[in-house]
Amino acid sequence: MIAPFFKYGLFGDDVSLVVAFITGIGFGFFLERGGFNSAKKLAAQFYFTDLTVFKVMFTAIITAMVGLYYLSVIGFVDLSLVYLTPTFLLPQVVGGLLLGFGFVIGGYCPGTSCVAVATGRIDAMVYLGGIMFGILVFGEVFPLVSNFYLSTPMGQITLPQLTGLPYGLLVFLVVLMALGGFVGAEWVEKKMASKKAGASL
Amino acid sequence: MRDFLKNLSLNRKLGLLAFVLGFFALFAGSPYHGSEATVNAKELALIVEKEVDHVSVQMLADWIIRGKSDFRLIDLRNEKDFAEYHIPSSDNIALSGLDQSNLQRNEKIILYSDGGIHSAQAWMLLKAKGFRGVYILRGGLEEWKDQILFPRIPESPTPAQVVEFARTKEVSKFFGGTPQSGGAVESATPKLSMPKLEAPAGAQSKAAPGKKKKEGC
Repeated sequence: MIAPFFKYGLFGDDVSLVVAFITGIGFGFFLERGGFNSAKKLAAQFYFTDLTVFKVMFTAIITAMVGLYYLSVIGFVDLSLVYLTPTFLLPQVVGGLLLGFGFVIGGYCPGTSCVAVATGRIDAMVYLGGIMFGILVFGEVFPLVSNFYLSTPMGQITLPQLTGLPYGLLVFLVVLMALGGFVGAEWVEKKMASKKAGASL
Repeated sequence: MRDFLKNLSLNRKLGLLAFVLGFFALFAGSPYHGSEATVNAKELALIVEKEVDHVSVQMLADWIIRGKSDFRLIDLRNEKDFAEYHIPSSDNIALSGLDQSNLQRNEKIILYSDGGIHSAQAWMLLKAKGFRGVYILRGGLEEWKDQILFPRIPESPTPAQVVEFARTKEVSKFFGGTPQSGGAVESATPKLSMPKLEAPAGAQSKAAPGKKKKEGC
């Protein structure tokens, strides 16, 4: 048995929807358990008082990376069949900045807003309404922005391809980066906590 | 050593584990097993026998009409024939150019040529290179002409066939074809003109190779 299962025809379109449903529920469940249904908690990361979001996301990234890497080294996963979102550098930088603004102002990112709606938060419902409206506006003006939307295409590119470094070395470097990030995050959190304690005295 | 591990918090243990796994990644090599793939003859034979790698012209027509864009349609004929007529949304890659083509192994690829032989050969070639989602348009362009562009109602049709033909006619018109409603007599006159390339208005825009998929955090 070799993954990706869908590409290898282990199941078809119908079953893939069921699998998507199950993984989606799981994703939402763990976001909620991580406390990501609270805009206060999410926004706290931008004030450096609570960097849980950063830590959770980076943990997910290196878990997936190390897991995928070793599973494909032993031949269980065929990485070349895994779909990668193509890179369009400039529009994605701009899109990332826009998402960041929205995240700071609204306190949610798209995924966490859905989680928060599921737990009954009214602010998240308003936020999700905004997302829907934004999608509508984007769809309507798409002909005007499509040139930009598809500019600076780089294809399905990965870091090893871009840098020419061996795959294993990059895995190691990203792990180091994550561990450094975790240590730094804890340090910043402590620093901010003591500053806050000092300010309230 | 054991005491040292015992005294670590769970977070630190996991961090240590990540570090160790990351460190061994330095020596574990590349996860890609190169472009040379082993051909599993038995598996291939089974696929051929079961014909799971075939896409019928009706299915393809339906996908194009519905604007499905999760596949790439590849025309294997030469440039001249391609310029004369090709199925909407297809790209032209000659059999000899398959090696240097920009096809990705993670794409769903549907091949067609005039009949079935060239696409079958190209199918084998791609399969041997480790492409998974390669399909052949059953009957190729010949069948596309017969069934989609110039469909013909059988002599003395059953009611079910009449209903079916009404549907086929619509499909044919979408692709700019001319349904043959008369009997078999007309078949003697081969004056069927191929539709103009721009004919199906809605069918050209999609299937751009750089199409984005939507993903969110």
